[in-house]
Amino acid sequence: MNSIFTISKKELLDNVRNKWIIILTIIFASLTLVVSYFGSIFTEGWQDLGITIQGMMSLVQLLIPIIALMLGYSAIIGEIEKGSMNSLLSLPVTRLEILLGKFIGLGSLLAITIIIGFGLAGIVIGFNVSDVDYAGYIIFIFATILIGLVFLVLALFLSTLFNKRSTAMGGAIFLWFFFNIILPIVFVGILAASSDIINIVNNAPDWYHILNLFNPLQVYSFLVTLNVGAALSLDNLSIAYPEYYSNILMTIILLFWIICFMILSYWRFNKRDI
Amino acid sequence: MISKTIQCPNCRNIIKINGDPGEKKLLLCSKCNQKGKYIFPSSDNIDDGEKKAIAILVKNLIKNYNGTNAVNNISFKVRKGEIFGFLGPNGAGKTTTIKSILGLVNVDSGLIKINDFDVADSGKNAKKFIGYLPERVAFYENLSAFQNLCFIAEMKKTSKDECKILIKEFGLSNAINKKVGAFSKGMVQRLGMARSLIGNPPILILDEPSGGLDPRGVVLIRSKIREMKKMGSTILVSSHILSEVQEICDRVCIINKGEIVAQDTVDGLRKTLNIKPKITIELEKLSENIIKSVKEVKGIEKIDIRDNNIDVICDSRIKARVIITIEKTGGKIINIHTKDPSLEEVFMKFTEGD
Repeated sequence: MNSIFTISKKELLDNVRNKWIIILTIIFASLTLVVSYFGSIFTEGWQDLGITIQGMMSLVQLLIPIIALMLGYSAIIGEIEKGSMNSLLSLPVTRLEILLGKFIGLGSLLAITIIIGFGLAGIVIGFNVSDVDYAGYIIFIFATILIGLVFLVLALFLSTLFNKRSTAMGGAIFLWFFFNIILPIVFVGILAASSDIINIVNNAPDWYHILNLFNPLQVYSFLVTLNVGAALSLDNLSIAYPEYYSNILMTIILLFWIICFMILSYWRFNKRDI
Repeated sequence: MISKTIQCPNCRNIIKINGDPGEKKLLLCSKCNQKGKYIFPSSDNIDDGEKKAIAILVKNLIKNYNGTNAVNNISFKVRKGEIFGFLGPNGAGKTTTIKSILGLVNVDSGLIKINDFDVADSGKNAKKFIGYLPERVAFYENLSAFQNLCFIAEMKKTSKDECKILIKEFGLSNAINKKVGAFSKGMVQRLGMARSLIGNPPILILDEPSGGLDPRGVVLIRSKIREMKKMGSTILVSSHILSEVQEICDRVCIINKGEIVAQDTVDGLRKTLNIKPKITIELEKLSENIIKSVKEVKGIEKIDIRDNNIDVICDSRIKARVIITIEKTGGKIINIHTKDPSLEEVFMKFTEGD
């Protein structure tokens, strides 16, 4: 346990010296403030946190996965290529401890930047608007951290899977395209081919709702919209989700992704010659 | 009954087998139908007293990469308190063996023990005894020299004060808070050596310790190795600088094409190969008569004449006869110098054909 903590502390320190933590925090805070102030075409000035979340969600879906993937893709293979993994593994530490240490360290980095970045922006917005839905905003931050961790563990898996840092990076970029663009297009394509496209929004078939649960980005979006639904229905486009869609289900699915790919990463890392 | 996990050399499929020590088992890969056999190692044949005296035990180690045995059934022991030289040409299997000892690669079969801890079963415990300097020393470049060493100290659960002392000992005090990314190759190597000594490990594994160092650095590292031996550490050194190995090692092991070709003291290896020393006899004046009579001495392998010197390669017993012959023919000897064959010559003999 002590080794895991030491490795995660080192990862955090390494990235603090790298200025990553500062850059990310500034990006998150400024994006939130910009979206809140300029994001709505209906009104001018500061928007409610709910509307800000609505504006932020698509940005988060694009930004957080790529940041998490970039943070994690070289965590293992980068150290193997540089040669520092030799020294690390010569210490009294297991491969599982290294993997967990890296995940916790990089995950903390991601969580800290999200909490500080979005938190600071939330406070600024809170001072400028009335009727603030802090609970919804906290769930939004929690869900954002969770989706960040999902993509971080996917990146760690790529890092253990490939023999070159450059290939792992290619894999990370592919994953980003896959979950952001390819998978949604494929799902909608299947839906369009099999049902009446006009009634898709309100009457999508059950299998389509189930299929969407296989895309962690969709699950993230459901988790947020389930909690800040009131704000999101302002444009009169309320989405009818099946009854079984719940906070717990969405959280479990995201946690399942994390656990599943952590096990796969360990299996792959353990088999690998350094 | 022993359980063993073996990787198919053809398709890398994992095959689990059970057997008794010394038992021969026929293998059939369920995936690719590759056939083979495996002999379960007989019991260590090492008594308790000897076990206590062995720091590193490598027995029947096999490591296969893509169907080729990088290390093919090698066995050796490194005794506690000795400096053990591990030599071989490039690609001979030195680094693979070292990596196997450290658990960096998954071996196909064999037994590796460090202070009687099996690396495969208790790797974490086994590695508690080790300090390692890899061939390619690397650090976390965004962290300072001190932060890098502190990380290792924390992992080894030792005091961080030791890091400052080691940084000073290796002449890096001025760069203690500098990012390692800005270090020269020599500085990185020295810091690497400092890192391997954190926690005062009883076993040191040094892969090319003098690589990238200036002469001052080489002397520093060499004296540190000697100091560690005096303190009772066991040191396994892999190096291409054979003069260095000859100077510091108690025993050497030569590996070639994945197999151990020799293992002894340098003197022992010389005797095995029967390589004769070179005797240089300096004369006041060299005449044709002297040369002729020396050439007639039986048992001389080679004679070279230069200026007033005669170089003869012969057994030490023949040396006296050569001297008597020179003196009988009126030659006046000024100086006699005997040079034993170097480890380099021994190494070349053992790895001939490469």
